[in-house]
Amino acid sequence: MKRRSIAPAGLVLAAALVAASGSSWLSSAAGAASAHSNAAVVKKAAASASTTLNGAGANSIAPFFEKVFYNYEHLHSKVTVNYSPAGSSVGVKDIQQNTVDFGDSEIPMSSSAQAAASGGAVLQVPVELGGVALSYNVPGAPKGLHLDGPTLAAIFEGTITKWNDPRIAKVSGVSHLPNLAIVPVHRADSSGPGWDLDQYLISTSTGWVKKIGTSKASTSWPLPDIGEGEQLNTGVATFIKSTAGSIGYVSFGYASKAKFANAALKNKAGAFVSPSSYTIGLAGARASNLSASHFSIIDEPGASTYPLANFSWTLLYKKQANAAKGAALGALFYYVVTTGQKQASPLGYSPIPANVLKLAENTLVKLRSSTGKQLFKL
Amino acid sequence: MTDLGASPVPEAIAGSPTPGETGDGPTGLRPWRKRRLFPSSPFYAVVRWGGAGLFAAVAIGLVVTIVSQSSQAFTHSGISFLWSGTWNPDAGEFAAGTLVVGTVLTTLVAMAIVVPVGLGISVSVSELTPRWLAGPLSTSIEFLAAVPSIVVGLWALLVLSPVFATDVEPALEGLPVLGRIFHGPAYGPSVLLASVVLAIMTLPTVVALSRTALSGVPMADREAAMALGATHWQVVRRTVLPGARSGIAAAITLAIGRALGESIAVALVIGNRPAIPHSLLAPGATLGSAIVNQFAEASPGLGTSAVIALAAVLLLLTVLVNVVGQLLVRTRGGRRVLSARGAAT
Amino acid sequence: MSTIPNVQVGAAGTGPEIGLVEELQRRRALVRDSARRSIRRRRITGRAMQVICLIAVPIGVAPLVALVLATVSKGAGALSAGFLLHAPTPPGVPGGGISTAIVGSGEIVAIAIALAVPVGLFVALFLFERPGTIAAAIRFSADVLSGVPSIIIGIFTYAVFVERFHHFSNLAAGFALGVLMLPIMVRANEEAMRTVSVDLWEAGVSLGARRSRVARSVVLRGALPGVVSGNLLAVARGVGETAPLLFTVASPTFAMTLLIFNDATEPFPDAQRTAWGTALVLLVLVLILSVVARMVAWILNRKAR
Repeated sequence: MKRRSIAPAGLVLAAALVAASGSSWLSSAAGAASAHSNAAVVKKAAASASTTLNGAGANSIAPFFEKVFYNYEHLHSKVTVNYSPAGSSVGVKDIQQNTVDFGDSEIPMSSSAQAAASGGAVLQVPVELGGVALSYNVPGAPKGLHLDGPTLAAIFEGTITKWNDPRIAKVSGVSHLPNLAIVPVHRADSSGPGWDLDQYLISTSTGWVKKIGTSKASTSWPLPDIGEGEQLNTGVATFIKSTAGSIGYVSFGYASKAKFANAALKNKAGAFVSPSSYTIGLAGARASNLSASHFSIIDEPGASTYPLANFSWTLLYKKQANAAKGAALGALFYYVVTTGQKQASPLGYSPIPANVLKLAENTLVKLRSSTGKQLFKL
Repeated sequence: MTDLGASPVPEAIAGSPTPGETGDGPTGLRPWRKRRLFPSSPFYAVVRWGGAGLFAAVAIGLVVTIVSQSSQAFTHSGISFLWSGTWNPDAGEFAAGTLVVGTVLTTLVAMAIVVPVGLGISVSVSELTPRWLAGPLSTSIEFLAAVPSIVVGLWALLVLSPVFATDVEPALEGLPVLGRIFHGPAYGPSVLLASVVLAIMTLPTVVALSRTALSGVPMADREAAMALGATHWQVVRRTVLPGARSGIAAAITLAIGRALGESIAVALVIGNRPAIPHSLLAPGATLGSAIVNQFAEASPGLGTSAVIALAAVLLLLTVLVNVVGQLLVRTRGGRRVLSARGAAT
Repeated sequence: MSTIPNVQVGAAGTGPEIGLVEELQRRRALVRDSARRSIRRRRITGRAMQVICLIAVPIGVAPLVALVLATVSKGAGALSAGFLLHAPTPPGVPGGGISTAIVGSGEIVAIAIALAVPVGLFVALFLFERPGTIAAAIRFSADVLSGVPSIIIGIFTYAVFVERFHHFSNLAAGFALGVLMLPIMVRANEEAMRTVSVDLWEAGVSLGARRSRVARSVVLRGALPGVVSGNLLAVARGVGETAPLLFTVASPTFAMTLLIFNDATEPFPDAQRTAWGTALVLLVLVLILSVVARMVAWILNRKAR
């Protein structure tokens, strides 16, 4: 009897394997557009009519986004949201290359970055208000150690090397700190918290400006050779947790979850303020004429204002190629800036003030389909 | 990591050379003669050539893609990318020099640990332990080969690193003479820890392949030595080990190739500072760890091209080492190792 | 050894005969003593070297034992039915698990198998049927390719798939793993095919069967134990890989190895517990695959006999 050779059997075997793995899995895998390859929250697509929204961006907002997206998915079973907190610069890059549906960055895109976006104009929506803590691990030190800009600058420049240095004793009022080497930790990747601290030090310490040679803050830490560099908030937090004598900047959402001891920083009014949802909220309330080009709320005035706070900006293309996705994005982020803000305080963030909510709403209504139809209405 | 022990084919059969091994085809005739005698159907021919073509396309495509995507970085920095400069993407500095140093350093230290220990184990297992013990022992070492690299990295980061920071590294600093290379603050993640992780991961390679090489030395040679009055150890040292020399060299070379390319576990424990480490306890960076950490962030265009250029350098290094290893394997002594590499790394 | 005095041997029956016996006994004693000394020296060095070699064994085995013990003890605490069946939840929300990672990993590996197994067979058949320079080149490149670091394969897949089509997917990840597994499978398949006796092949073709028929019924059937176990071992290797998935998978919650990689760096105890639990699952999975590979080879070999 004439029989075929081995190849068709092999092909049949391969086809069987493919079929066995489940056609629904494959279609969702191949059809899913994406988020990036770092930590995220995901839910399997409920049915083939569901929408999957993929985003990537700031690491600092991840705890907030995870919670809010999770709640949103429970309310809207047909929507799946994936977020990859690989860092603000990754979010910007992914949006520029149009490999994600939304991005998020602690520092809004500059006009040159927007010009490089391949999908046209980018809408930047402020969605959350957070802060940056200076967390330290010093056995025997009290919580809420008082520190100011010039002292921090000296620490991160490497000129103060021990915790019992008289300069620290002078500003903090604590003289019994141990004779322990200071290990300053910075972000090895570019980061919003790094920008915040850099801006704070530029505003408060002339020595810092002289040392880094510029008065413009940067998301890349300007002195990478001093101290230790770690990836993402999680890397910095892990290092601080395991190394006695370390001090570093961590998004307050992570710092509060890790129950770190955080420094009380000297604000513009001269008071030493610890980070909390309330003091961060005060900084946000000071934001006037907030826009993507005028976004800094570092070192705002006010007796109890925490000096290291920032808004987190979601990046969306104004012209959405997929109208259904565009509408879903509008609905999702409207939820985030309204109902979702309830999740802010318990997680170490602060609800956005009313004027910022207005800005967010005014930006979301600008979403358009490829035919020019408005995709989101209030 | 994969199972590197005996070939899945039983040794009794695998040991005898078949005509195929000499490259003459199933019938032992020259290929053209055989083709005339037993032609194959067009479909079968398409299947075979299709498969070979796909394979060649993948292999060539891999090299071509890496080289072409990295060309932008090479034209930007020149050929000195390979050995000079520092890696500082934000400052626009792209050069692989320090990373190459880190890669070579971690591999060397790992080999310094693995070669003595691995040879010791393989000699023990093949020569010194009783038969009932040798089997389970070598199986358990091979099991280490099956442990995924991420699990080794996880354990090294969460269990080994704190132990290193508190006990091992201060102890090493206190060593006389040698202590000089172990100075400096020790937080755990360091070149030393990464080298130890690499050693753990490449040990099964060395043990399994050396053991095959050692057991491949013919019994007749051993018996001849014993007849001349050699003690057990002298038989091992003067007859077995030299006989297995090229197989052991092949094993070590393949282990080096593996160590050069390991990136995930190293990225977790090396501390990721792309500067030439001043001590083994300092953090460092290798080509692999830099690629892991930098790729996602790299700005499109020159940044991504620079990271791919790092991959090109790594590819060059590993291919060179692997080619040398393969050539060693194909020598007479190494041939016994060839069959053991059936599913090997 | 002292110089041997020149002894005069006299005629039989005279005095020096007694001296000859003594001389011989003295010489024998000399040789015996030096042999004893040499043996003692050689034995002592031998024992010392053996001890040194044997010390290497616990040094080498200890990390393995410690690793497995740590994974089992720390991972067991995280394991539960819920862990395996539920999807991840945000921090603070109880009841999370790694189901998406298990399913995702399974899917990626299934795609890799579907891509690599047939091609691996076809290439091995090519090497078997047409030896020559091309075959030698393919064989050599398969060996070299199996030593290429997996992260480079990940970058290659990113450039070819992800960048071109603008999205990450399990398909791309499956392709990357497939490329990783392919050279291993090719070599294992070819080795297994080599073991089939040439006589059987010749008998097949001389009976008039086409080469494809002979390949199917004789070669592959005879090579089946080696093929199956070799491919299973390649799959076991692929299951444990992280680097090729790093730049291709849509989300780390779609793959167990990536999940471990992410959670390992988090300072929070629940994330670390998840990492240990996932590591335990992965370890058990890889162990099962390796054991099954060996057992299949053993069973099929026995049947073949």
